[in-house]
Amino acid sequence: MIWRLIFGRLCTAVLTLVLVSAVIFAIMEVLPGDVASRILGRDATPESLAALRAQLNLTDPALVRYARWLGGVVQGDFGTALTSSRPITEILAPRIFNTLMLSTLAFLIYIPLAVVPALIQAVHREQPVDHALSIVTLALLSMPDFLLATLLLILFVIMVPVLPAMSLVDASTGVGDYLRALILPATTLAIVMAAYAVRMLRDNLIEVLESEYVRMAELKGLSRRAVLLRHALPNALVPTLNVTALNLGYLIGGVVIVEKVFGFPGFGSLLVDSLQLRDLPLIETTVLIAAAVYTVANLLADIGAILFNPRLRTR
Amino acid sequence: MALSAPQISSARGFQVVRFWRRAPNSFRIGAAILLAHFVVAVTGPFWAPYGFSQMGAGVPLSGMSWSHPFGLDQLGRDIFSRVVYGSHIVLALSLSGTALGIAIGSVIGLISGYVGGLADEIVQRLLEALISIPFLVLALIAIAGAGPELSGNPLLIVLVVALVYAPRVARMARAAALDIATRDFVTMARLRGESAWSVMRRELLPNASGVLLVEFALRAGYAPVLIGSLGFLGFGMRPPTPEWGLMISENRALLIVSPVTVLGPGLTLASLVIGLNLFTDGLARILGRTVQVAGK
Repeated sequence: MIWRLIFGRLCTAVLTLVLVSAVIFAIMEVLPGDVASRILGRDATPESLAALRAQLNLTDPALVRYARWLGGVVQGDFGTALTSSRPITEILAPRIFNTLMLSTLAFLIYIPLAVVPALIQAVHREQPVDHALSIVTLALLSMPDFLLATLLLILFVIMVPVLPAMSLVDASTGVGDYLRALILPATTLAIVMAAYAVRMLRDNLIEVLESEYVRMAELKGLSRRAVLLRHALPNALVPTLNVTALNLGYLIGGVVIVEKVFGFPGFGSLLVDSLQLRDLPLIETTVLIAAAVYTVANLLADIGAILFNPRLRTR
Repeated sequence: MALSAPQISSARGFQVVRFWRRAPNSFRIGAAILLAHFVVAVTGPFWAPYGFSQMGAGVPLSGMSWSHPFGLDQLGRDIFSRVVYGSHIVLALSLSGTALGIAIGSVIGLISGYVGGLADEIVQRLLEALISIPFLVLALIAIAGAGPELSGNPLLIVLVVALVYAPRVARMARAAALDIATRDFVTMARLRGESAWSVMRRELLPNASGVLLVEFALRAGYAPVLIGSLGFLGFGMRPPTPEWGLMISENRALLIVSPVTVLGPGLTLASLVIGLNLFTDGLARILGRTVQVAGK
């Protein structure tokens, strides 16, 4: 029963991704502007444009090109980038590695940043500390990521110069420098995600703290700390899983901005570059990966909810 | 002629005062911030000390001073004046884009939810696909796809905001339609022989208006961030438009010399978003709904 449910969600997810690829292809096809004129610049002659279009197979009908591309993807071949004529998998690999490192560090910073303020707020609810933290999280939520990144830059690069302003890394960068380059972008992402989660976790914690089993735990003489960390927190975290999955979805959009701000050569900046160059195969691949991460995150949240809450299984 | 006109208006004025007193704090603070932004947006061009592209307003990059509260940029343009001029651009783009997105989304959602069946299923899958592309990425694709001729066109930005919001709004509107459609008064209307169109317009839409209002406020709160992000990445308005996100990206290169040229537009943008988020939070409480702020 439960496996059938999960299998159903999985099929929907795959269908969604196929539709995503069609949508991207359609948007780039229907709207004006093409890659040949982008590569050759403003002073291209009509003859050279035509020659380049023929060379890049841009003259084939759109459906044929889409089918050819989709057929390649199914076999694990994403094609070659139009602008640099290198295989896309070769371009992607280091970028994805960098962004994975960035996201991992962001998540490591995110967890304490979400849990600690929420615990403080729940314990001191409706007191000045709680209100103050509520205002801080609201302010952080309302701040655009590029502004937050810039503020951190002013703080840790200009006022207290301890970190590099640009996170330019390549294969020759040492581990220490690599980590130092990651700190600012990862912190920016972590703060944005945490601001979102803190508000929800606080409300969940307060609800759990008023439940019968927490009162029971208090009555049987457990210390406040044990009640909070062993009884209340785990139960309050379950609904927050959904937010964390949503955050993973946010992360994939957030890296676009944050990597650009810090000049970090990851997946997000590759996506922006490919859009600026109108390199369709590269755009298709990067956006499809972004959508896949989002879809998988939601799928995991759904499955998590089903596993943790047996009542959902009958639906 | 039981009541004369002044009495009616004073009674209404009294209701407004009572509503204001009972409104949650977040609503009042949010409304006050928004009012300030609106006043600046409408009157700003008349009292801004310098023109938005007027060069040589003072010594370039000379930092904060009484005559230049947000400093001057590399070209000697007064940043404060530029921020003031940018106000109506940011507000107009955000609100019209959001309104268009809500209009398109609610029409799609209400029809799809009420009609149901295979059509609904197909629409849902398509919306799902659009939603699974992150906000900003979808906006960037649409702008890149529109090509260089249209880039920097305000109409394109409005359409892009609408495109990003419509699928998310449609999903909300559909859920509302499914809920309302089961109520007795809809069954009644159908039994009376009202057409599907009339049921949608006269029964579903008025009853979904609360949901849609909160949705509008929520989405409007993120629109300035989206537009600012597009400007920041070079996909939004073109120079010399004084759009805040674009200004932040222009002045960032010289952040070390004059941080205030970035902080000025940045914190102004943040204050607008905070105002919108507080307003939404208050509005949702008044209408008795729970809402997660920040429409990510």
